[in-house]
Amino acid sequence: MKRKAMSRTERKALADTLVFTLPAVVMVILAMYIPFVMSGYYSLTEWNGISRNPVFIGLENFKTIFSSGSPEFIRALIFTFKYSALFILFSNVLALALAVALTQRFRLANFLRGVFFVPYIMSMTIVGFIWKFIFTQGFEKLYEITGWGFWNYSWLGDGGLAFYSLVLVGVWQSLGFYIVLYIAGLQAIPTDILEAASIDGASAGKRFFSVVLPMLGPSITTCIFMSLTNSLKVFDIILALTKGGPGGATYSATLDIYREAFQNNNYGLGSAKAIVFFVIVLVLTQVVLRFFESREVEQ
Amino acid sequence: MKKLFSLMLAAAMLLMLAAAPAMADGAEINMFISSPEYADAVNELIAAYKEVAPDVTINYETTQNDYPTLLKTRINAGMTPDIFSTTSGKEIGDYIEYSYNFAAEPAAAAMDPAVTNMMKYGDGEVHGFALKGNYFGVVYNKAIFEEVGIEFPKTLNEFEKACEAIAAAGYQPVTTGFAEWWVFKHVAQHFMSAACEDPAAMIAAFQAGEAHIKDYPVLYDNFFRFIDLAVKYGDSKPLETDLAGEDSALGVGKAAMMLGQGAWVEADLLAIDDTLQIGFAGYPVTDDPAQSQVIGGSDQALRINKDSANLQAVLDFVNWWYTSEYGQSWFCDVAGVIPPVSGAKVADMQIIKQGAEHVAAEGSGALAICYSSDSFNQAMGEAIQAYIGGSLTKDECCAQIEAKWVELDGSGV
Repeated sequence: MKRKAMSRTERKALADTLVFTLPAVVMVILAMYIPFVMSGYYSLTEWNGISRNPVFIGLENFKTIFSSGSPEFIRALIFTFKYSALFILFSNVLALALAVALTQRFRLANFLRGVFFVPYIMSMTIVGFIWKFIFTQGFEKLYEITGWGFWNYSWLGDGGLAFYSLVLVGVWQSLGFYIVLYIAGLQAIPTDILEAASIDGASAGKRFFSVVLPMLGPSITTCIFMSLTNSLKVFDIILALTKGGPGGATYSATLDIYREAFQNNNYGLGSAKAIVFFVIVLVLTQVVLRFFESREVEQ
Repeated sequence: MKKLFSLMLAAAMLLMLAAAPAMADGAEINMFISSPEYADAVNELIAAYKEVAPDVTINYETTQNDYPTLLKTRINAGMTPDIFSTTSGKEIGDYIEYSYNFAAEPAAAAMDPAVTNMMKYGDGEVHGFALKGNYFGVVYNKAIFEEVGIEFPKTLNEFEKACEAIAAAGYQPVTTGFAEWWVFKHVAQHFMSAACEDPAAMIAAFQAGEAHIKDYPVLYDNFFRFIDLAVKYGDSKPLETDLAGEDSALGVGKAAMMLGQGAWVEADLLAIDDTLQIGFAGYPVTDDPAQSQVIGGSDQALRINKDSANLQAVLDFVNWWYTSEYGQSWFCDVAGVIPPVSGAKVADMQIIKQGAEHVAAEGSGALAICYSSDSFNQAMGEAIQAYIGGSLTKDECCAQIEAKWVELDGSGV
């Protein structure tokens, strides 16, 4: 095949593309890819994160993880999967329901969209501190006022309850983001299809489940994918709310990696766990993505 | 493609240039330490040193949150600060390749022997100095004890009786702060100190996997009894109450005793109620009142980078801090802390004064938290939290603590 010489405008377009993407590419390489490759190397060493000379030990760290040495990592993984399952379920179902409600024409619709989005623009750490205050001081006050027993549960001090508190805060914080995605999807559904369904005598429920939901396929795929990756990476909210406690009941995989690398001074083993977790996330997200894409209908 | 690559390389190099520090004329000392609560005092110290040595510039930085992680990042980036912090005791060894042995300097001679003890490494080497000394013990509200008409308990049986009496008088006997992992190390060290003649050797045996908690009744029986009592007579949500919760419970006069704290809480308590009559005493750990001791010493170490570009300037500064008249009185007059130097005057604060009196009269317990690393101390705190939360039995909790001692502090690391 003969290569055609570029025209001036094409060259200019290429130059524009390069100039505008370059800073981002450089930053991503510096902040993501180089550290990634380096932690790949550190995962093959025994290193406390302090000493000058990491000792190369081959695949020893991975053997430790897979043989027996890491019941905490397994527990953290199970915690992360449980958290992800509930987070994906609640954030998507609630976001979809609210998106449907907020696309109806009523006076406060636009205002309410804003209200739901506000938590999403707050930093997770701030959200964590706000909710810590609500769980401890706020709930106590509500208990004094109402006398209802569940206000007086130790929402952050009981391992089982703390898990649900984290799910609640996580979903609360990111709901706005998924609502926006679903609203965009809902608005993209051609009205003529819906009208046709109405004329054919479909009820509101039937219209939603047989027309709207299938047409939302791409939005659902995106939202499931985003909520999956975000929930697997959950970190800051746990650090702000429970620090993995009480008694280590709320360590997520990422928090366990952090603990291994920086608190236990096992940087090598921590890096190895990070690599293992990376592979798990990669496989899981790809499988989920493929599954949902295969079920989308042609528009 | 080649062009793109060279462009990217050029951009990366530019970035690195921009990150390189500007060079100054005189000697520069980079000081990156924890303890931000003393930032104002340290800045005053630096200003005073500027008059002594005008051409030395001290770049002081501090952070509380995540200090060890930030320090490791700097060390690995080849930007080891000239003065940095670690904990004393076990961690002295962890950072040994970076730290200067200043045993021969005047500063080391001026240091309080109880502080020096925690800074030693190997054969008489001194690898750290302290920003402050510290006292650990039970902080209590004297007014409540007077109202109830009892003395502060010195034995475990007295402690249980005192809790009953205080609860009967309508107060919360103890506030525990058990949401914080470090509260447990502060409580447990009093029991470790009383558990045997030589706590350092005992903990070394635990780290080698050669000792068992069951063999030490003070740990296996007394410590867990104390924890059980503290939970029974403590906060309604024990694993949710943190330092702030403790401060408020004692400060507003709701609770009578506060666990796991020491000299550092006084200012916060007085900020809530400046008329609070604060009492300070050792923990009741056994049936022997003599074993109820306050613990003194320094759990934080400041370290000197042995490869510092301006090592002499750093040493001059530290020697001036520890031996000059201003430097020695700075601890009491400016920072309001327990001086880590011998013979300096003591600040007029309730906990510090009572701590000093207790140590003078009864001696100090061993600063046992420093024989273990904070990695272990955190794991121990989590294990005891799990015991309090009911997900571990006492024996499972002990087994987990023993395993963590070997895993995190054993020779493997």
